[in-house]
Amino acid sequence: MAAVAAAGGLAAYPAVQDIRLHWAAVGLGALALALLVGGLAAGQAQPVGWGVAALGAEYAVHFSGNGRALDELTPMYAAGLILTGELAYWSVERRVAAWGEPSVLVRRLIFLAASCAGAAAVAAFVIVLASASRGGGVALQAVGVGAAVGTLALVAALVRRFAPEVDSQA
Amino acid sequence: MTATAKLRAYPALAGLGLIGALALGRPELAAIAAPFAVFVGVGLALAQRPELRVYSELDRERQIEGRHVQVDLEVVAANQVERLELLLPLPDGIEAEEPNPRMLGLGRRDRREFELPLLCRHWGAYEVGEVLWRARDAFGLLTFEGSGGEHSWLKVYPSGEAVQRLLRPLETQAFAGNQVTRARGEGIEFADLRPFTPGDRVRRVNWRATARRGAPWVNEAHPERNSDVVLFLDTFAEARRTDTGTLDLGVRAAASLAAHYLNEKDRVGLVSFGGVLNWLTVSSGPTQLYRFVDSLLDAEISLSYAWKDLDIIPSRTLPPRALVIALSPLLDERAVGALLDLRARGRDLAVIELSPFPFVDEGQSETEELAYRLWRLRRDALRARYASLGVPIAEWREGVPMEAIVEEVRAFRRHARVMRA
Repeated sequence: MAAVAAAGGLAAYPAVQDIRLHWAAVGLGALALALLVGGLAAGQAQPVGWGVAALGAEYAVHFSGNGRALDELTPMYAAGLILTGELAYWSVERRVAAWGEPSVLVRRLIFLAASCAGAAAVAAFVIVLASASRGGGVALQAVGVGAAVGTLALVAALVRRFAPEVDSQA
Repeated sequence: MTATAKLRAYPALAGLGLIGALALGRPELAAIAAPFAVFVGVGLALAQRPELRVYSELDRERQIEGRHVQVDLEVVAANQVERLELLLPLPDGIEAEEPNPRMLGLGRRDRREFELPLLCRHWGAYEVGEVLWRARDAFGLLTFEGSGGEHSWLKVYPSGEAVQRLLRPLETQAFAGNQVTRARGEGIEFADLRPFTPGDRVRRVNWRATARRGAPWVNEAHPERNSDVVLFLDTFAEARRTDTGTLDLGVRAAASLAAHYLNEKDRVGLVSFGGVLNWLTVSSGPTQLYRFVDSLLDAEISLSYAWKDLDIIPSRTLPPRALVIALSPLLDERAVGALLDLRARGRDLAVIELSPFPFVDEGQSETEELAYRLWRLRRDALRARYASLGVPIAEWREGVPMEAIVEEVRAFRRHARVMRA
């Protein structure tokens, strides 16, 4: 429920604004919510990932209709996306109905809050970097591309090292 | 170690976001994608395989149905385990009285001990003690699974039925016991008077009778002897609902009767006659009780279409002059035929019918009700046939005291005469 509520908030943000591709934003938002609700109801993890991706796509549509201005709420949006993803994966993760120590739940909630704060901080850092170097030219753009590719390569290397087999259930 | 779906999704989301940012030239997309990449990167960098040791110990190996045993569980973690699920798999017939599974968090070099009380709901031999665990890293990207603990056998013995007076065989054995025989000899129970004969002990002279008759008379007594009892358990078929059935009744009755007979210094044996033939030759003493109950724990209904009769039963399991108490729902023709055959061979036989009626629905339609009534009539006819052959038969249902059934059979044997079939 909390995951759907968080996703609803994120979907509503671009959808309620008066932008050029409003219908596309509304459609992507609805698709994201449908995927999330379907995934949570079926206990399947795959639709959850697609739902979060659809929320990101809706946000991208928002930029297309919003001109060149930087969105100051991007850190909040990034925190919301992490919150949605974490809550949704928490719901569908493979587990048994176990009696849990209260401290486990408290620690997990603290971790969730820290993740959201960290996501907002990382997003804000990226936005600040981007705003400080606007109009930097081809060299800076090449550095950006290199950084993006390097980040992805690093993450891929870590995933390959730690994940010999992927469990599709959760 | 298993990767969760989140570990596949988050890098993909980060990749899509970064590619989108490059394609559209919008830093916001990189800003919302970067946290996913950082999350995965930091999570994997900090992830470590949990070093866990799990111990389990049963507080006892034997228990009686309906009572409790306790499993002591101990978990020792060498490194931090954020979320650990512990499950003690339990077979049907054993229930946990406290939460199982349970989730806990362990710090570095942490140690947790807890007790899990188990209810032994149904008799049987169970293997318990293995503990399955599943741990996740703090970021929920990786799952680690393993097992620990000690496998132990838990024997749950059937609960006993109270019996005060036992069914006595027609003939006793040669060894000393608690049963007063019909024969006369050395004993305590007075039997009769007879004239003195050379060789009689002086202490057996009845002085009052001697004075009255003017010649020496002596007392005769019934000696105390033991007897052989064979419990014949029919395991061809049973009537059952989900939690109980006629086999359970039979096993409980057999265990109770064996305990009482052994307590009376009698020798007790078991023949479990069904798809799988199982037997225990007659013997006495406390050790025999353990052997007997252990043999009972192996009793189960095994589907078999093979015709079986008394010839497959080893002769030493049915000693001469033994009382055979059959515990049967009388549902299978092979068991019914074997009991009739026993009687035809002159065995001292009593049948305790484990009533299948509480486990059978009468049916809804007229045809079903008719079939049910016909079935009951056939069973009545079978009972009458046993009675006509001099075989006492009593119907036992759950909730009826065993004492009443034994008394019913005793009453039959007081008045019936043994017939040869």
